[in-house]
Amino acid sequence: MVTGFARQKVSGGKLVSVRIEFGNSIERIEILGDFFVHPEEKLPEIEKGLLGIGVKEDEHAISERIGKLAKENGVEMIGVTPEAISSTIKMAISNGMASNKS
Amino acid sequence: MEWRVISLENNNAYRNMAIDEAILEHIRDKKSSPTIRFYTWKPSAVSIGRFQSMNDEVNLSRCRELGIDCVRRITGGGAVFHDTKGEITYSVIAPEDAFPKGIRETYKYVCGWVIDGLNGIGIKAEFAPINDILVNGKKISGNAQTRRDGVVLQHGTILYDLDIPTMFGVLNISKEKISDKMIKSVEERVTKVLDYAKVSQEQLYKTLLEGFTKDKKYGLGELSREEEERVLDLEANVYSTERWNFSR
Repeated sequence: MVTGFARQKVSGGKLVSVRIEFGNSIERIEILGDFFVHPEEKLPEIEKGLLGIGVKEDEHAISERIGKLAKENGVEMIGVTPEAISSTIKMAISNGMASNKS
Repeated sequence: MEWRVISLENNNAYRNMAIDEAILEHIRDKKSSPTIRFYTWKPSAVSIGRFQSMNDEVNLSRCRELGIDCVRRITGGGAVFHDTKGEITYSVIAPEDAFPKGIRETYKYVCGWVIDGLNGIGIKAEFAPINDILVNGKKISGNAQTRRDGVVLQHGTILYDLDIPTMFGVLNISKEKISDKMIKSVEERVTKVLDYAKVSQEQLYKTLLEGFTKDKKYGLGELSREEEERVLDLEANVYSTERWNFSR
């Protein structure tokens, strides 16, 4: 199992971080930051819905999946977007792979 | 609609967060009136946002050395150092119909009360979406909101004084947070009441009270016995627990 972490500032000034564990697909994920998700208790549902995504899945597809999960769970995001989360996930995967090689 | 106003009080971090949630539940159950409360944090404390990691955001060993409590809020947003003598925090808790429709609009509406209060001591402040209040382009107040079962809770801090060394000691401020604005120091992005008005913390409270209650029917009140019991429960079984505070 590889672990990865990435953090970036998104437009609007909030920070989003992703802590991830993966093999060929995402096994565990935490989306962290100073953004707002309403209702708050639904963020874990979005995290759960991302498990099993292949690490080679492209950023746009992950973003669409997050958007769909948000809609299904009646989630409103403020200060963060599916695109920002998706790009941070890809960064975390890439950081994990890089540190695993070294 | 008549508001209950709970006067400025000092509480520890766990109790402060427990009081907000207990009031929210009682308003949801129609057992309590819409409430405005003002408080400070004693001992000084760090609160982190609902989605932050305590270990990432807070220098826990420094907090232990200084006797500073650390708590996870029910609301999103960022980590805040609550210096007992350096700020006043408010909470506004009421049914959704007491506010404009929408989260962003509600931020603007309630932040307007803070701005009115600051105006009362000659400080010209402005709302800066999403959830900040600025004076001369620098942040003086951060605010956070949650909604549950038709009830809105918004709380926020108004910075009165600033102990920069302690703040930097207890918060792990990431380089990403300050990277894109060419910020050299916290003084360039944060300001405080004492920079603009030589008032006491008590005077700041009085002017905020006026700003928050302007054009409202209100009465001074306190927690009901039932709310108090729930506060003790939430304080002991949620907000002071590692399970909650280190859940991320």
